[in-house]
Amino acid sequence: MSSPPPSGAPPRIFDRALAARRRARASARFAAFDFLHRRVMADIVDRLESVTRDFPQALVYGASGLESLITPACGVGDILRADLAAERLAGPGPALVFDEERNPFAPARFDLIVSVLSLHAVNDLVGALIQHRAALKPDGLFVAALFGEETLSSLRAALYAAECAIRGGASPRVAPFADVRSLGATLQRAGFAMPVADIDSIRVRYENPIRLLRDLRGMGEANALAERPRPLTRAIAADALARFSAQGGEARFDIVYLTGWAPAEDQPKPLRPGSATHSLADAVRAQRRR
Amino acid sequence: MSDAQTGEVDPKLLEMLVCPQTRGPLVYDREKGELVSKGARLAYPIRDGVPIMLPEEARPLADDELAKL
Repeated sequence: MSSPPPSGAPPRIFDRALAARRRARASARFAAFDFLHRRVMADIVDRLESVTRDFPQALVYGASGLESLITPACGVGDILRADLAAERLAGPGPALVFDEERNPFAPARFDLIVSVLSLHAVNDLVGALIQHRAALKPDGLFVAALFGEETLSSLRAALYAAECAIRGGASPRVAPFADVRSLGATLQRAGFAMPVADIDSIRVRYENPIRLLRDLRGMGEANALAERPRPLTRAIAADALARFSAQGGEARFDIVYLTGWAPAEDQPKPLRPGSATHSLADAVRAQRRR
Repeated sequence: MSDAQTGEVDPKLLEMLVCPQTRGPLVYDREKGELVSKGARLAYPIRDGVPIMLPEEARPLADDELAKL
């Protein structure tokens, strides 16, 4: 039932239905591969604990059961769990399947929206962020973690070099990831107040690079690019993994955290340029005289 | 008691939802376990109490079904 995107629509880089199947397939054994998601949830919990506000109604997208890590100190009341794949929503409490590219919420429903390692694979990030913002009540908080920057750059390079060496050309196999600066700008473009983007770079050493591929599949993060590459041959895969190990066998995961607030009247705002009532020059002169 | 056991949708959740395609209202068909969007001519399934708000998973409505709404 997919129709071609209207002109002006963002390019279709990710196959969302395929991404949903990858997430669904990984759901049964996810607990064995959730080390990154756990770290991200712990980080998000830290952030929520440091905000002195309560969030009576929260939406948590993509946490795959790790909502249980949210502590009472976070001040979170009711939690609606959501995901792209129903299989990741087992457990008690209200839950819902939707695509962050087309959210199904009436405006201003949540005090808090958390999105866990999911937004790196949407085609229209600014659109998805605008929809999250619209679902927030005024002064509601948005916190998202997504893969960015140099995530899997060594694996990407190894696959590229191996495929070029053996086939004389290569197709993309690791998704493109946005850098923290453009992600921060996107957050601002989507209309969030006080937008902040920061990065946590995690390096994981793999003695056996096959385990990296297993981890990616286990997280549900196997390639979901819309443009399906030619299958890897055994020889290319072996060469790529050998190159990956020769380069140190280190996989990098750059987790970008985005936080922003739905605009509200009484929020602190930066002053407009030229609106100052005292001259900086006078203030400096006054200091010097002392 | 989990929602998955009863198959019922949390009424508070229903209040929050609109059709992701048209942003129009949804009607809860308890018998069929569907959320019906007249504007999009789609019925979104509810599986084990979990609404599946994906247009590609929804059932297109026939003309006579639409007329009854």
